[in-house]
Amino acid sequence: MELLEPEILLQLLIGGLLAGALYALLACGLNLIFGVMRVINLAHAELMLIGAFGAYVLFHIFGLHPLASLLIVVPAIFFVGYYLQRFLIERVVGRPMLTSLLATYGLSIILINLGLLLFSADFKSIPALQGSFLIDELAVSKPRATAGLISLLLTVGVYQFLERTRLGKAIRAVSEHAQVAAICGIDVRQIRMLTFGMAAAMAGAAGVMLSVIYSFWPGSGVDFIQKCFAIIIIGGMGNFVGAFYGGILLGVVEAFVGGFISTQWAEAAAYLLLVTVLLIRPTGLKGVARA
Amino acid sequence: MNNYRIGLWIGVALVALASLAPLGLNDYQQSFLLQVFLVIALAQAWNLISGMTGYVSFGHAAFFGVGAYASALLLTWGFPWWLAVLKSAGIAALLAVPLGFLTLRLRGPYFAIAMLGLNEVGRIVATLWVSVTHGGTGLTLSPELLPSLDVKYFTMFGLALGATLLVAWIHRSRFGLELRAIREDEEAAEMVGVNTTLNKVIAFVLSALIPGAVGAVYVMYTSYINPSSAFEHARNIEMIVVVLFGGSGTVWGPIIGAGTVMVLREMLWAQFPAAHLAALGVLLLVVVLYLPGGLVSILRDRQRSRPDARSGESP
Repeated sequence: MELLEPEILLQLLIGGLLAGALYALLACGLNLIFGVMRVINLAHAELMLIGAFGAYVLFHIFGLHPLASLLIVVPAIFFVGYYLQRFLIERVVGRPMLTSLLATYGLSIILINLGLLLFSADFKSIPALQGSFLIDELAVSKPRATAGLISLLLTVGVYQFLERTRLGKAIRAVSEHAQVAAICGIDVRQIRMLTFGMAAAMAGAAGVMLSVIYSFWPGSGVDFIQKCFAIIIIGGMGNFVGAFYGGILLGVVEAFVGGFISTQWAEAAAYLLLVTVLLIRPTGLKGVARA
Repeated sequence: MNNYRIGLWIGVALVALASLAPLGLNDYQQSFLLQVFLVIALAQAWNLISGMTGYVSFGHAAFFGVGAYASALLLTWGFPWWLAVLKSAGIAALLAVPLGFLTLRLRGPYFAIAMLGLNEVGRIVATLWVSVTHGGTGLTLSPELLPSLDVKYFTMFGLALGATLLVAWIHRSRFGLELRAIREDEEAAEMVGVNTTLNKVIAFVLSALIPGAVGAVYVMYTSYINPSSAFEHARNIEMIVVVLFGGSGTVWGPIIGAGTVMVLREMLWAQFPAAHLAALGVLLLVVVLYLPGGLVSILRDRQRSRPDARSGESP
């Protein structure tokens, strides 16, 4: 079968890795929030779409290139996240899991429908990057390559920040044990706001990246949030590195399912992967911070 | 008179009103009531699993979609409408058995997440399985296959009433007590000998049965079904908001919630579906943050604060 030729397999693999990097950026933020706050943010994909629509508005009104708009959109969404935490999520931290699930669910419904009121249900796209890079026999589409590489850089950057800086250490400390962290003099409330801001900014960046690859509408988040959940369960809830590997894995699996079966079944791949992992190892492949 | 007796009398009065209503209403008003019953039945189903056990299902509309498709197919194959309703409910419940065993072994958040995707999967399957579902084109039912509006009205009413009575019965039964024990502290419930997984799965299957039947009647009402109308995300939202707004885990909460939300929808934002859903989102946030017990808890608190109020939990 022609599909089994090495060039095609390599092509699928590269496509999968690039798509996976975008998932990883989104899912790592989600897991960061879960790790620090024990809150599952159901509105995470909508934060991503704020980024996508931000880039859309900047492109079509001011003619700003999406890559340049990262510099505006990402800080802006950091503040959106920071104040969401301050005024909304802070109230549900420490309450039963269901309370925070329902609160963020409410937030996501509000954001989706505000999006529909503002932008209608039409698909939007940004025709800024087009064409492909040709390397020997391989063709890699420019938007996908750019988005994948930038996502990878950002995720690794955040990881380095968490590992190497004092603030990153404080975030990890709160994630480990909030009370002990507080005793050590860490302002836990402030850390939570920064964390949510940071995770929101990651989602926003993912949104800008998304906007150069796909067309999107205010309801696009549903597919992504589901994939993210599959990823964080596969990678272990609260585990940043696990989410990264989970994201890459899902990207690759989707690419191969899409290549060999059909792209529509690729959409269901995340769910099948999720169910399989739940069957075999209910706590995820990389162990888990207890939910 | 204690709260239970008051509730019983109000219930009897409502049933009498709903039974007589078709005599004095035009088709539009009757259709509106039918939709209220639809929401009540769905809300009670959600209440049964999520309100009672605390396991939030974000994908219950999937069972509605399965019921709707099953019924549409059964009708076109020549089954009478009542058999189509029964079989559709059965199919939805059968589907819930393996799903329940798969997802309910897990603690709260995992279940919620696994259910979140279910509705989407239903939509994808309905779109891709073209030979049976006709894909995105959907299935249209010819009018001679369908029962009259009165029949549909009373069937939907029966489902709402049946779901409510089921919840009321469970509320007072040992089974209901065990479900609430799971909600309050699952480990402790296990410790005192409650078979938590089995209980959760039974509640889940019962709560899938109802949307299956409701979907079956719904397709008779609309006479058309396609993947996006069968597996509509908004239906999940409505179910959840209605129950929480009214008061989750109670018998009256879903009824009060459904009545209020449906009247609001009809009066204020019928023309703006996006505004309707955004408003539901705001309502959900407000209830979760400021009124965790829902509207029912306001009524109950008022009862409690009266000096002559008897103790005893209102249903």
